[in-house]
Amino acid sequence: MSIYDLIFYLFAAITVLSALMVVSSDNIVRSAFYLLATFFGVSGLYVLLGADFVAVTQIMVYIGGILILLLFGVMLTSNITNVEIKKGMKNVIPAIVGIGIFLAATISMMTNTNWKTQPGEIPQTTSFELGKLLITDYVLVFELLGILLLIALIGAASMARKEQE
Amino acid sequence: MIKDYLKNTWEGLYTVLVGMKITWKHLFVPSVTLQYPEERAKLPERARNRLFVNINDCIGCMQCATACPVNCIDIETVKGAPVDMPGETSKGKKKALWVTKFEIDIAKCCFCQLCVFPCPTECIQMTDVYEYSEWDRDNLIYNYANLTPQEVDIKQLNLEKFQAEKEAKKIEAAKAKAEAAAKKAEEDKAKSEEKPSDDEKKEEK
Amino acid sequence: MQNYLTEIFGNELVAEITVYVLNTIPVLAFIVLFVLFAVWLERKVSAHMQDRLGPMRVGWHGVLQTVADFLKLVQKEDIVADANDKALFNIAPFLVFVATLATYTMLPFTSIFVGSNADVGIFLVLALSGAVVAGILMAGWASNNKYSLYGSLRAAAQIVSYEIPTALVVLTMIMVYGTMNLGDVTEAQTSYFWNWGIFGGAGLGLGKFLLVPFMFVAFIILFISTLAESNRTPFDLPESESELVAGFNTEYSGIKFSMFFLAEFANMFLIGSILVIFFFGGYNSPFGYFGNLIGVDWLIPIEQLFWFIGKGMFFVFISMWLRWTLPRVRVDQLMTICWKYLIPYAFFNLLIVGLILLI
Ligand code: SF4
Ligand code: SF4
Repeated sequence: MSIYDLIFYLFAAITVLSALMVVSSDNIVRSAFYLLATFFGVSGLYVLLGADFVAVTQIMVYIGGILILLLFGVMLTSNITNVEIKKGMKNVIPAIVGIGIFLAATISMMTNTNWKTQPGEIPQTTSFELGKLLITDYVLVFELLGILLLIALIGAASMARKEQE
Repeated sequence: MIKDYLKNTWEGLYTVLVGMKITWKHLFVPSVTLQYPEERAKLPERARNRLFVNINDCIGCMQCATACPVNCIDIETVKGAPVDMPGETSKGKKKALWVTKFEIDIAKCCFCQLCVFPCPTECIQMTDVYEYSEWDRDNLIYNYANLTPQEVDIKQLNLEKFQAEKEAKKIEAAKAKAEAAAKKAEEDKAKSEEKPSDDEKKEEK
Repeated sequence: MQNYLTEIFGNELVAEITVYVLNTIPVLAFIVLFVLFAVWLERKVSAHMQDRLGPMRVGWHGVLQTVADFLKLVQKEDIVADANDKALFNIAPFLVFVATLATYTMLPFTSIFVGSNADVGIFLVLALSGAVVAGILMAGWASNNKYSLYGSLRAAAQIVSYEIPTALVVLTMIMVYGTMNLGDVTEAQTSYFWNWGIFGGAGLGLGKFLLVPFMFVAFIILFISTLAESNRTPFDLPESESELVAGFNTEYSGIKFSMFFLAEFANMFLIGSILVIFFFGGYNSPFGYFGNLIGVDWLIPIEQLFWFIGKGMFFVFISMWLRWTLPRVRVDQLMTICWKYLIPYAFFNLLIVGLILLI
């Protein structure tokens, strides 16, 4: 077992356990903070896959952006701790059936697919290649996404603005 | 509009620099701090701090205790007996009372100096001692009387003796007087005249 | 080192973990020493700017004062109130500190000592400052105290807002240097001081001279916005004593409080070193190395360490100087500075620098 395996299992455990806690916790703020651990775990997994840029983006966008937004929303809502959150065992049998089917499908997919494997180095750095690809092969998508975000930004600003008489 | 904007920006930065210049200058201004136990500020001439009582000059008149607004001076006196008079103050004033107790609770004192002025012998004074903190509050009750308890007892005894003697003398005198009066009365009787005695007895102070 | 440890432990895995752990020690030690020194410096600077003396008793001119204070702080009772959310309350200070510590791995202290020579360098630093926000929100929420909550919400709003101008300027810098790796950024400004970022970088010709004013603007913007991100006066709204007791760390005591404290001062050096790396040549000496001159190779890293820490300390000093000069801004002013001034300027700067780089 190399140290990378150890780290992988550590991150995997963090991700899975904290994801479980997110759904089972009865305090919505705690759920949000468990989500923090989940995001960290996922970004750790990305690092192990050699996707350093994606990993950092994961931290930046999900923790620095989405999670903070979520927390803001939760904390600025009054009486948030008193909200009844639906959890616990309900519809156990359909759930088990659903999970079972999904699991079976995934496993069969994993075993039956003829995965293309290719011996190769984990790229040392990805940001340079990613940047190149973004402004050559995928430039249209990139620009469209940019426009979409800009529209969203303008929309948000105009909604937040005070109505002027 | 855009001009205002640029001007605002410039002013924002510029005023920060102005402020920074001021603080930079102050970095080199000699500091006003006194390193207290090593360096001390010079006290003003009439600073009011701890009281001092020159008990040798005190005549036990209790003027100071009366003047004190917080009643922190506690004085007890015993009258001097003629055999053992308290002596004189440094200015030659005769003392009549032994000061058996002179306590100042300096913890209560508010340093108003009201006790200093009424003193006829100027023996209670403000000093420039201002460091007298104690671990125990009782240590802040200063005792200035210089008589030991035994001495106080002796003074007490002397006084009692003296008073007793005086009393005895008085009684004798009264007796003598009464006898004399009786004699006189007899004589007067003889003269068939009556005269009531109106001598008054002295009260102790 | 690793082979040696493998022999000792007889197990490669343990040896590898030990190496990783040992590698963090210099950085950790640096942070602790720096904080001890910076707190003392802060007190001295503030005192002398107000014509006082500051700490004078413990050691020469009070240099050991912070050590004494730290010892006192460690002895203090670790108070956890009943109504606190215990788990989150206990995790939050460590999250904040660890996230700050993690950013230090990216700093090239010398050409031979970099915690991690990752290519995402500055991007990770920005991302982790977002994670610090999560820790601060956690602290504020778990304290179950209205002042703490207000403080942490303010901190979050402030850091999230100021991340935008920071990111814009950092983007400009990435364009100029063509890399996110802080070590490479430093290497690009090597040898004499006219190669430094603030003087237009290492290039020659017209571009370099055109860049100078825009580098300067970028420097100012980055300085202001990182100052705001580290919650220092004049942007210390999250812990404004006169309004919020102590902000998000009101309920903390003892070692957990000192974690926040360490993080705050570590952040100060972090912003100083980022400014140094982007604009003032990182660990490069302004006039060549003494070690090169006399031909002693091992002297060079030491000199580099000296220059890096020295330049970083200079900016730490400037931020202290600012702190004792300026009063705290209001919340609306804070937002005005960010959204109405820094961001437009950063945008224009980005555009113009981009144009200059194209020609
Ligand atoms: S200074 Fe004032 S308070 Fe103090 S003993 Fe004299 S009269 Fe009393
Ligand atoms: S006023 Fe002076 S003389 Fe009189 S009791 Fe006080 S100290 Fe003694």
